[in-house]
Amino acid sequence: MRAIPLYLLGGLLALPVQATEVQDLLGRLAAAERQQSFQGTFIYERNGSFSTHAVWHRVEEGGEVRERLLQLDGPAQEVLKVDGQAQCVSGSLADQVSEGQAWPARQLDAEQLNSWYDIRVAGHSRIANRPAVVLVLAPKDQHRYGFELHLDRETGLPLKSLLLNERGQLLERFQFAQLDTSVPTENAMQPSSSCRPVRFRAADSMAEGSWRSDWLPPGFTLTTAQVRREPTADDSVTYLMYGDGLARFSVFLEPLKGRAVEDARSQLGPTVAVSRRMSTDAGDVMVTVVGEIPLGTAERIALSMRAGVPEQASQ
Amino acid sequence: MSRETLQESLSAVMDNEADELELRRVLTASENGELRGTWSRYQIARAAMHRELLVPQLDIASAVSAALADEAAPARKTPIWRSVGRVAVAASVTVAVLAGVRFYNQDDLSGAQLAQQEASPVLSVPQVQGPALLAGYNSSEETGEPAEVGTASWHEQRLPSYLRQHAQEAVMGTGETALPYARAASLENR
Repeated sequence: MRAIPLYLLGGLLALPVQATEVQDLLGRLAAAERQQSFQGTFIYERNGSFSTHAVWHRVEEGGEVRERLLQLDGPAQEVLKVDGQAQCVSGSLADQVSEGQAWPARQLDAEQLNSWYDIRVAGHSRIANRPAVVLVLAPKDQHRYGFELHLDRETGLPLKSLLLNERGQLLERFQFAQLDTSVPTENAMQPSSSCRPVRFRAADSMAEGSWRSDWLPPGFTLTTAQVRREPTADDSVTYLMYGDGLARFSVFLEPLKGRAVEDARSQLGPTVAVSRRMSTDAGDVMVTVVGEIPLGTAERIALSMRAGVPEQASQ
Repeated sequence: MSRETLQESLSAVMDNEADELELRRVLTASENGELRGTWSRYQIARAAMHRELLVPQLDIASAVSAALADEAAPARKTPIWRSVGRVAVAASVTVAVLAGVRFYNQDDLSGAQLAQQEASPVLSVPQVQGPALLAGYNSSEETGEPAEVGTASWHEQRLPSYLRQHAQEAVMGTGETALPYARAASLENR
């Protein structure tokens, strides 16, 4: 997460204390991962899955950020990232990686987040033996989930992150068990031999304009548009990704070529998947929406996809 | 187990939102007179919301027994298939319970829910989709069994792939915390 632009901070002097504190925390959160070296272990939990992981995060003198992530139980999933770009990936994590140029640098934009979430300081807590400030991001509409972030008082790093649905039920938990802010050794930054250089799958072309959406949840914008060759089929699948700055969802559009496939809805922890059959001039297409968004929103997105070049730019 | 936990589970069963654990909890306790009383009150409350008159009884045990008797014995070749079979039984149990509810209360399609203050989006949610995906996902790479033709095989092939592509796309995004990585890794665990 990158630093928040200075002009934002300039406009905050007149705001109430609470708002100032929130902006300050978001600013520190955004800056922490660019400026702070750390190492530690964390857990990740969702419905049906619990796993433990180690992270080594090193900010080099030139500002380059290197991060190594390793799953500590079960299969040894591993990723090494330099400035956010994956350099090597282990095992099954590697098989679906696509071309690198499509990802815009994402920034945590406090102003943008304020448009879609009510952000407030909810109190204090202690995580991984460190004092933390609890930040609650409550969605302003029903089209996204809420977050509860526990940020390290000293560094601003997120020590704990909870995703909550509209009834306050926990969808997933990310939480450090141990964290220290010493610089990881060069040795600890070295990936294991099973971490293989990232091989990019072929994206046939950019898919911008071949599909459009009549409706999107407010604040979500298109970040990726590609045509991909689906590994389990001969078909080309159009892939679109949208984000609001925190949450994101993907849309897959696949020609069915006469196959009879029924609509389906599924929920896997925080992630919902909605498949809907859609008729087009060129035959039926299966629209599948996958993301960390409520089911009803995913359903509406799936219903709103339209074939063809837009007359005017969609919202 | 506390009374509150049991009542929450019961409420979840009634609202068609029970997971396997909650369903088992309610089934285990279904001989309990107090639970039966609670079930009746919930049904009456719901019926009142629908302006219906009914005489509810908690008689899911016999419906479940019937469903289990009809269920083909799950294949037990591998641990994976054993778990798939268990999920499949649970799914049909869910259907049996819901069928029991419908027997007394024909109009529960509108989604009015006792435990929920605001109405959920009006959707006709199929009851067995969650377990069905889990089963498909678990079995998609582990067996040499011939894939079924039609719907099941399409979803078994595509949904795991789509879930992974979504998760991994997020991992590769720049300027992220470890959260998307952890989500993607959790998809690979079984």
